[in-house]
Amino acid sequence: MRSTRWSADGETTRSLATAGLLVALGAVLGLVESSILPPLPVPGVRLGLANIAVVLALFLLGPRKALVVSILRVVLVGMAAGSLGGPAGLLALAGAVCAWAVMAGMASRGDAFSVVGWSVAGAAAHVIGQLVAACLVVGSAAPLLFAPVSLALSLGCGLSVGYSVRLLLSRLPLKVRAEVTG
Amino acid sequence: MTQGDRLMIVAVALLAVLAWPVTYLAASGRSDVVVVTGPHGRSEIPLEGPSTVDVEGAGGPVTVVIQDGEVRVAASTCPDKLCVRQGVISGPGEAIVCVPNGVTVRVGGGGDALDSVVR
Repeated sequence: MRSTRWSADGETTRSLATAGLLVALGAVLGLVESSILPPLPVPGVRLGLANIAVVLALFLLGPRKALVVSILRVVLVGMAAGSLGGPAGLLALAGAVCAWAVMAGMASRGDAFSVVGWSVAGAAAHVIGQLVAACLVVGSAAPLLFAPVSLALSLGCGLSVGYSVRLLLSRLPLKVRAEVTG
Repeated sequence: MTQGDRLMIVAVALLAVLAWPVTYLAASGRSDVVVVTGPHGRSEIPLEGPSTVDVEGAGGPVTVVIQDGEVRVAASTCPDKLCVRQGVISGPGEAIVCVPNGVTVRVGGGGDALDSVVR
C-alpha cells in the first residue's frame, strides 16, 4: 500500500489539481458537518470529517501540500461561517496546525504508522491545540477541564476518520494513485 | 493497522485518563459560590440563588442563571451557542466556557490551583 507514496519533488500539474480538489473536499466536509450535525456540548470536539481531506493530502501529496490544504480549508470554512479572524477561527486554526504537525511527523516515520494512526493522533492533537488556544483566548485554564472528555471522544472520531481514509484509498485505482503521487 | 497505530490509540486513551486528575485540581475550591470571569473582570455569585446575572462579554452580554444550586448559561451573543448547549453545572470545579465572548463560569474559586499549574 505504501509503495506508491508521494515523491518530494512531484510538483506536477496533477498534484496541484489534486491539492485543489482536496481543499474543496475539506471545505465542503467542514461546512456540511457544521450545518447538519449539531456540535457536541463539549467544546473543541467534533467529528472532524474535514480531516479526511488533510490525511488524504498527507498520504498522496506529502506534508507541505497537506499543510496548505489544511490551512486553506480552515480559511474557506471560516469565511463561509463568518468566524474567520474571530476566536472560533483562531481555535480552528490552532487545532488544524497542531494536528498537521503531529501527523506530518508520523508520516515521516515511514511504515511505522498507517493512516489510521495518523488520524487518531491528529484528532487528539487537534483537541489539545484547541483547548490550549481557548485557554489563551479566555485568559483562564478552565477550558482544560474538558481535556479528559474531549480526548476520549477524539479517539472515536480519529478512528472513524482514519478508517474512512483507508476505505477511500483502497477504492482508488492503482493507476490513478500512481499518477497523483507522481 | 500497524503496531505503531495500536500504540498511538493506547497513548491517546492513556492521555485522556491521565488528564482526569487535572479536573480534581480545580475541584479543591468552595462549592457554595459561582465565579464568573469575563473580559471586564470577575465576580462571585452565591450558588444558592435564584439569581440572573448579565455578564458583558467580548461580543455582547452573556446571561448566567443560578437556580436550585445549579448554574447554566441561558443566553449568549456568541455564534455557536456551545455555552448554552453545555446545560447545567453544579459540582465544585465544573465550568462552562464561552470562548467567543471570553467568559468563564465556574463553580467554586478553586481554579487558582489549576491556573498556577498552567502558568
